[in-house]
Amino acid sequence: MRSPAGMLFLAAVLLPFRAAAQGYRVRIDTRWQTVAYRGVSLDSIPVTDTVGTPGGGPVSPDGFAVQCLSGATFCTLFRPGAVQRGRPLTSTIEASLWGFGVRGLSVRAIGRAGVDLGTAGVWPGTGPALQLLEGYAEYASSRLTARAGRQVIPSRLGWTGFDGGALTYRDVRHGIELQGYGGWGLARGVALPVTSPALNPLDDFQPIQRQVIAGASGGWTSSAADARFEYQREVDPHSHKFVSERVAFEGAVRPVGHVRISGGADYDLAAGWWGSADAAVNYVTPKIRGTLWARRYRPHFDLWTIWGAFSPVPYQSLQGSLAYAIVARIEVRGRYERYRYDEAATETPLFSAKRDGWRAELGATATLTPAWTIDAGYQREFGPGASVSGTAATIIYQPSARLRATLLGSSFDRPLEFRFNDVGVRTLGVDGQFASSEQVRFGVTAYYNTEAHHRPDAGAFDWNQWRASARVVFAFGHGADLRGLPPSIQMLPGGRSARTLP
Amino acid sequence: MIPRASLALLIGLLVADPAAAQGPTGFDHARHARVFPSCQACHPGAVNPDSAFWPEPTRCTACHDGSTLQRVAWQPPTAPHPSNLKFVHDLVPLMTRATPRGPEPLGCRDCHVPAGGGRMDVHRALSDRCIECHAPGSTHLAAPDTVCATCHLPLSRAASLRPTDIANFPVPPSHRAPGFVTSGLHGRQAAGTSQPVAPSCATCHARDFCLICHVDAPERAAIQALDPDPRARAIVVHLPRAPSHDDPSFLSRHGAMVRANPQQCVTCHTRESCLTCHAPSQGVGVALHAAGPGRAPGAQPHRLPPPSHRENFVRRHASVAAATPATCAGCHVRGDCLQCHRPNAAANPAGYHPAGFLQSHPAAAYSREARCTDCHNTGGFCQACHATAGLTATKTLGSGYHDVSSTFIAGHGQAARQSLESCTACHAERDCLTCHSALGGRRFSPHGPGFDAERLRRKNAQMCTVCHGAAIPND
Repeated sequence: MRSPAGMLFLAAVLLPFRAAAQGYRVRIDTRWQTVAYRGVSLDSIPVTDTVGTPGGGPVSPDGFAVQCLSGATFCTLFRPGAVQRGRPLTSTIEASLWGFGVRGLSVRAIGRAGVDLGTAGVWPGTGPALQLLEGYAEYASSRLTARAGRQVIPSRLGWTGFDGGALTYRDVRHGIELQGYGGWGLARGVALPVTSPALNPLDDFQPIQRQVIAGASGGWTSSAADARFEYQREVDPHSHKFVSERVAFEGAVRPVGHVRISGGADYDLAAGWWGSADAAVNYVTPKIRGTLWARRYRPHFDLWTIWGAFSPVPYQSLQGSLAYAIVARIEVRGRYERYRYDEAATETPLFSAKRDGWRAELGATATLTPAWTIDAGYQREFGPGASVSGTAATIIYQPSARLRATLLGSSFDRPLEFRFNDVGVRTLGVDGQFASSEQVRFGVTAYYNTEAHHRPDAGAFDWNQWRASARVVFAFGHGADLRGLPPSIQMLPGGRSARTLP
Repeated sequence: MIPRASLALLIGLLVADPAAAQGPTGFDHARHARVFPSCQACHPGAVNPDSAFWPEPTRCTACHDGSTLQRVAWQPPTAPHPSNLKFVHDLVPLMTRATPRGPEPLGCRDCHVPAGGGRMDVHRALSDRCIECHAPGSTHLAAPDTVCATCHLPLSRAASLRPTDIANFPVPPSHRAPGFVTSGLHGRQAAGTSQPVAPSCATCHARDFCLICHVDAPERAAIQALDPDPRARAIVVHLPRAPSHDDPSFLSRHGAMVRANPQQCVTCHTRESCLTCHAPSQGVGVALHAAGPGRAPGAQPHRLPPPSHRENFVRRHASVAAATPATCAGCHVRGDCLQCHRPNAAANPAGYHPAGFLQSHPAAAYSREARCTDCHNTGGFCQACHATAGLTATKTLGSGYHDVSSTFIAGHGQAARQSLESCTACHAERDCLTCHSALGGRRFSPHGPGFDAERLRRKNAQMCTVCHGAAIPND
């Protein structure tokens, strides 16, 4: 145990047990998978070794397309890369403990241990070996919630992880909630600080200190409407400069039953531009689910990178989706989205990228019997960068809440816009989930994946593999709510419903 | 001074011993009918408190000497028979029974011999004989609530009773009445006498028995009137599910029912009971009592998915969650979502992302169909994998990876501004600074629409120095 996160993880998870908490819930989720992929390998040959092709560019003697820069003596080419096999094994321990003698006081910790049983470093996410995803002490009353430790706050600005404190005040009667938080920030999308070497595989510029983060939010909720406001700033303590400073707001109204109108946006105070925004109208009944969704997306980059200075442009999209239960057991669905990027204001006479795209999907779900369900869908997509078109289907057999078996299959093609590497992918496999009790669940997935790369040169290759995973989850606990009942009664699957008078 | 008639009534009822088997005693009195002319000959203590109640075993050897009759191993009991009776034989001389000839003193057979039985058809005290006087026209277990205490001690004071004795208490017919448990009938009976709790309840039950079910025990005066006694849990209760819970629509209606009348829930449910499912809803269950000492643990609901969650719901839950998040929040906390929505290196490959997503992910990533960075760090996830796959840029930009056009590098600006996050999955800053730096290279400006130089310099001039050094322009 060398890393501070690992020490904190152990302390947060194990020490409270020794403190004899009166109640606890523990969930241990252990998963394993085997996965492989094959990329490319850069190579070069002398210009003099290249071979011309009729109607095409130069190739290597063994048929690989080469790139020869003007005046260079060597040309470059990409050969199929070596097969990379990863077999990550992770175990996530989630513990909640309470009953320390102070009502409302609890401790929560989520830690993960991971190792790659295949070639180390092939599959991302297993390093560092021990990670504390969340670990905090919480005091909660009807009006106040105070947290201290590693925590994640989700908001329209993303998922903000930090080591610090958060204080929430709520007035349930009036639906008002106010929150403030601060601490040392974590990197986005991961429970590691931005200074972690694990986040810098390209040896790029990296901050030397963790950012200090502070934020505040306020929300109001009622039966008819919600509103929320967020402010967040991150400061580099080394330079005392902003890493980011953003505000966001969102709201929703429910004017009539089944209808919800929502929307929100964020504004980047540091860059001086609007970020992402959306507005949606949802209509949901047992028979119909419909959504009309307008969306704008612009990526956010921290100011410790230079990417924001490259002026990323947003895209606007309009999407509609509808699902309709034509009879009790059959539901059909459809979705269509059209999107277009803002003018990029680049002078690129030699190459022009696609600027707009669309995607559509049709599908249906049929519940043949309470145990058998079939779902199938077809999607088609066209747009910048890459797109996917194909079909997917599943057959689900679920005779009880404890057992579910799924046969899954899909076939799709994925063209790229900027490289000749269209891929045809076919999958066929099974997934099984079984709960042997309330405390133990098992899962296993295995499917065969065929991958055919299409290129006009020798760089095309086929790559097939079995991909499999297994999962076991243990959940157990003890607490005042479980105390006093005879064990035989606690173990009754239906609780009190199984008991009758003699 | 106790009136003689009352005392007789009292003592007559005392022989009703619900804890004792009412069958014949171990000693075969009938076979010895001609040997023992009177009860007192063997049980002198029944009439004389100073004498032993049981005969000496040596008296048996007068006949059972091994030659005349085989020897017997009878020994008098060393401890009192477990019982909750108040009775002592000292009271017998004071007891009478009504006859056509007027009150007559009680004899042994009045309590120990069935009506019409022979003199030596001896049993332990027969409750039916007690009832003949103390509750005429009734039966033992159907006797009025008020008379139980005439003969019986409260359970908490019947120290000789063992849990097995208590577990074998006979069930009174009243307890089998429809609704006795679920409609509150037993509660009304418990509180229906002039006493804080009906003596009939206290005879067989103690407070601990009520604490098996009653969350609201501290608020129930009748329960609090009972003494605590853990032996009371020896009676295993089997509670039926409340009839209202069998209604198919109960799951969707129970919230309104609670709000309308929480008192109908507080008997069996703690606040924690609600939170089993409504974990995220702090306000739910506030009208119910919180679990704690002196209360029953309450019903243990099992969290079951509502009917809507079948039929491949996991695949289509997104629109429902977006439309009615408050409904989701009634049962789900963020941790539930994170089981799938938190990246895991060993996650099910056909879980959050569909099977084959590894090959198709460029499409979702380019247009950011979802916000990838909520779950995936660009450096630790995208770059790490792309580096292993040979997809990240090397020092020789222009190697031809983007080979759809030989002039891609000269015209990549639009693609970069449209999907800069995708670029950063493979490219480091130094790749771009080769050309886009004011300090060297081709000095191409990367700044485009919306770029606010002054604001960015004010917020973090360090970013500017990467390309401009110390000579940051004013605009």
